[in-house]
Amino acid sequence: MLKKSSLLILILITTGLLIVPFGGFSEYFLRLLAVIFLWIGKAGCWNIICGYTGYIDFGAVGYYGIGSYVTALLMSKGNAPFLISILVSGLVSALIALPIGLPTLRLKGAYFGIATLAFAEAMKQIILEFDKTAGVNFFEGPHGITLPIGPKNEFFYYVGFGIMVVVIGIAYWIKRSKFGYALRAIREAEQAAELSGVDTLRSKVKAYMISAFFLGMIGGIEAYWLTYITPHMVFDVLITIQMVVMSLLGGMGTVFGPVVGASFLTILYELLHRDFPYTYTIIVGFIIVVVVLLMPKGIVGTLTPAGHEPSMVQGRQREP
Amino acid sequence: MLLFLQSLINGILLGGIYASYSAGFSLIFGVMGVINIFHGEMVMLGAFLTYWIFTLFHIDPFLTVPLSFFSLFIFGYLVQRFVINRVVEAPPMNSYILTFGIHLIVAYTALWIWTADFRTVTTSYSGMNANMGGIVIPYARLATFVLALIVVAGVYFLLYRTEIGRAIQATAQDKEIARLMGVNIRQIYAITFGVGAAITGIAGSLISTYFIIFPQMGLSYTIIAFCVVVLGGMGYIPGALYGGLILGVVQSLTATYLNAGLSGALTFILLFIMLVLRPAGILGKGIVE
Amino acid sequence: MGLKGRVCSRTILLCLLIAWTHGIALGEQKFRIGYADPLTGTFGRDGNLVKDAYNFWAELVNAKGGIEVKGKKYPVELTVIDDKSTAAENARFTEKLITEDKVDLILGGFGSDSVFAGSAVAEKYKYPLVSGAASSDKLFARGFKYYFSTLGKATEEVRGCVDIVQILSPKPKTGAIIGSDILFTSLAAEGYRKYAAQNGIEILHFELFPITLQDYNSMLVKVKQKNPDVLFVGSHLMVAMKTIKGMKEIDFTPKMVTFSYGPTVPDFIKSLGKDAEYVVGASEWAPNLPYRDPLFGTARQFNENYFKKYGRNPDYVEAASAAGAYAIQVAIEKLGITPPVKEEDRVRIMEELHRQSLTTFYGVVKFGAGGANEAHPPVAVQVQNGKLVNVYPKEVAEAAPWYPMKPWKKR
Repeated sequence: MLKKSSLLILILITTGLLIVPFGGFSEYFLRLLAVIFLWIGKAGCWNIICGYTGYIDFGAVGYYGIGSYVTALLMSKGNAPFLISILVSGLVSALIALPIGLPTLRLKGAYFGIATLAFAEAMKQIILEFDKTAGVNFFEGPHGITLPIGPKNEFFYYVGFGIMVVVIGIAYWIKRSKFGYALRAIREAEQAAELSGVDTLRSKVKAYMISAFFLGMIGGIEAYWLTYITPHMVFDVLITIQMVVMSLLGGMGTVFGPVVGASFLTILYELLHRDFPYTYTIIVGFIIVVVVLLMPKGIVGTLTPAGHEPSMVQGRQREP
Repeated sequence: MLLFLQSLINGILLGGIYASYSAGFSLIFGVMGVINIFHGEMVMLGAFLTYWIFTLFHIDPFLTVPLSFFSLFIFGYLVQRFVINRVVEAPPMNSYILTFGIHLIVAYTALWIWTADFRTVTTSYSGMNANMGGIVIPYARLATFVLALIVVAGVYFLLYRTEIGRAIQATAQDKEIARLMGVNIRQIYAITFGVGAAITGIAGSLISTYFIIFPQMGLSYTIIAFCVVVLGGMGYIPGALYGGLILGVVQSLTATYLNAGLSGALTFILLFIMLVLRPAGILGKGIVE
Repeated sequence: MGLKGRVCSRTILLCLLIAWTHGIALGEQKFRIGYADPLTGTFGRDGNLVKDAYNFWAELVNAKGGIEVKGKKYPVELTVIDDKSTAAENARFTEKLITEDKVDLILGGFGSDSVFAGSAVAEKYKYPLVSGAASSDKLFARGFKYYFSTLGKATEEVRGCVDIVQILSPKPKTGAIIGSDILFTSLAAEGYRKYAAQNGIEILHFELFPITLQDYNSMLVKVKQKNPDVLFVGSHLMVAMKTIKGMKEIDFTPKMVTFSYGPTVPDFIKSLGKDAEYVVGASEWAPNLPYRDPLFGTARQFNENYFKKYGRNPDYVEAASAAGAYAIQVAIEKLGITPPVKEEDRVRIMEELHRQSLTTFYGVVKFGAGGANEAHPPVAVQVQNGKLVNVYPKEVAEAAPWYPMKPWKKR
């Protein structure tokens, strides 16, 4: 169990964040925090499958994009309420994750990575091409879909906060459950896990579907917030890359790694990007290089004592 | 029929282009297990080198090829020697993110210095082509195709017929034994990366004469190289050629007979099916970790 | 220096700093205007054009002492934030400009996707958003009151490129339309189709292709096989450049090739050199149009001064962006609004913009109820001897169009 002191800190932070919208901060400040929550959510989803099992998913944005489209279609064409739309988004994403995950999760390392990347890119092209090929007006191809104008930022603040808490909570639960042990066994030695009776494929697919479910929901939330989506926007490979970088910077396979990684990168961006639009990204590049070289387990993985928050990435071995 | 042949030849030539800039990716992966996210940036650097030498000194792009080769070799050697060597024995994801960091540094430094302008090398003979019985063959692409063959043959020769090649192979197969045999592994890694970068750089040099180049072009090249190499078999050098040809021909024929939009979707669907059925590449000779 | 001394000197420094910043705030009232615009990413090249245009306007205004309201002059101060060509970032930074920087007014950046997201934020906070570089029809379909565009709708923008066939002889009978699959270019492709039908041109082929397509040759081979008289391309700059490269490589010369966007950007002629000859591009403005206004002078003067400042001629998107900023300026002057601009002032500016019918160097700016600029000439330009020359419509034509296009091998 968590120590009492850390539990207290968590409760304090949570309460603090819950009352922020009443603190008279600017709308932008709320948006910034909500953006951070949603990035923590996305990176957290990626971390559930990749951090624990060690499988690198380069196509996570596929589920985010599917979720965006499901919500957009339901809300604009079906006048469905928001909460139902994002739940359906999550379900559809998770259901698609099943037939995609079953064959790809048998693949190893780079092959899984490129297969998932292929999946996400194919989804984008299919949505772009579907209407023209089928002769209907459904996804609206490159024209994109306009959603109704949403409520104020407080709404997205709380929704983002909620989804973040759920994703962190699930990561925590997985980590401590038998299921989590199975996933980590896969990461350490998949064959051995298989031999000792763990149904590895089943565990991996389960984690993959959970991850897809929440990514789909987050996609739906962001679509509603943005009020307009196109395939190029919601299937952007840079979104996946951002999730990977945030998880890795924070520490893969740790519960709070995505929290630290996403907050760190978003705040750094906020501080530097405006005055240094070109050099900002170069600085981020250097920070990534330095973190990988000096803190190979990520920020959380390196700063927490061994055993307390064990990271999946083993320390750098001695060089040849 | 003529259209079919033309499309087929386009596909083969396109395959040559894909192979020319993917072989280095395969080499680097095969020896070190590093998936190099800044691969596309090496294409970009080669292309810009040629562009600037052509623009400033009016030197023919084909004559810049040796310079591209050596500059990129030095770049690759140094990056591997001083940066990537530090994570090469850590889990693969460390090298993904490290090379991603380098990707950001190189791409955005280039953007900062060279601005986002779109450029291309236009020579007096650019776009020239041979017309053989109604089938058009652009010279620059033909040259790239020949180059791709030379590069693949050259790397093959380097690996199997030279002393250093044997050391590289020994390192790729078993580091520990290679080390016991007295191979300087750090040095071998740096040389391998240098060679990979050099052959990628010359592909970039040629690409500048028929494609549009700009500082942020790299990522899409990395993604295609990744696909090509997986199709042909990761780490199996001639696989880059097979993978490139398959991808080029499939894309070309779908663009001609179906539509260009579907060629994108089909590429990835093909890749997906391919991976599920034959993860070691079309010939089954790739490395499956 | 002891600890005390250091603290003391710091306090003094801080006081000075506060006095200094407050001094500026009190001594000089400014119009603070912000915009989110792509400086990096896919549209980094185009976004920088828009930035140049706004800076050109601001410097001109400030050189005259500022915007004159009730006999007093207030300079303008521009703030730009890079949206990385991402719609979500554009929305985010538009909101930042409004709620955190509390700018007086905002302007629009480049690109329909981004402006789409940004305009929803502007609407929410009742900030009029005038854009000169986003024109997708869907932007106007939402019934926003605060969104304005000095460009016409994307589908109408290509009209000149099609209508030009009326003055060509022999008149082309067939055409093929291709376009990349992003919003603006796909709309341009649809515009081509609409005007081709009006002009009695039979469309033999219509195709949208992925913007990420690396190689155009195989697609163009198919078009070549159908042998259209005219090739209409829904394009951005890069698509236009790649198309020309590909056409030459596969030796495809229709009688005419037109682009919705690209040839007017200086990179096009600079990079392609002689291969750019004969290419026709859409434009909504030309330096020899007989328009003028008190700030920029005539269209020709705008062109010349722009060249002096940046060493290149302005693209029509830059002209449209500068004209948009000018439209706001005129509205402020007319309403007598002084900084800091309050919410009710912005509502008045919005209403005034809908009423306005303004003559500028760019032509008439008349947004009407819908927000889209209604009156604009469908200009077609052609690259002739390394220069952009207006060839259509007749009133602005500087030269007769070169037609048909000379085959690549005979050049």
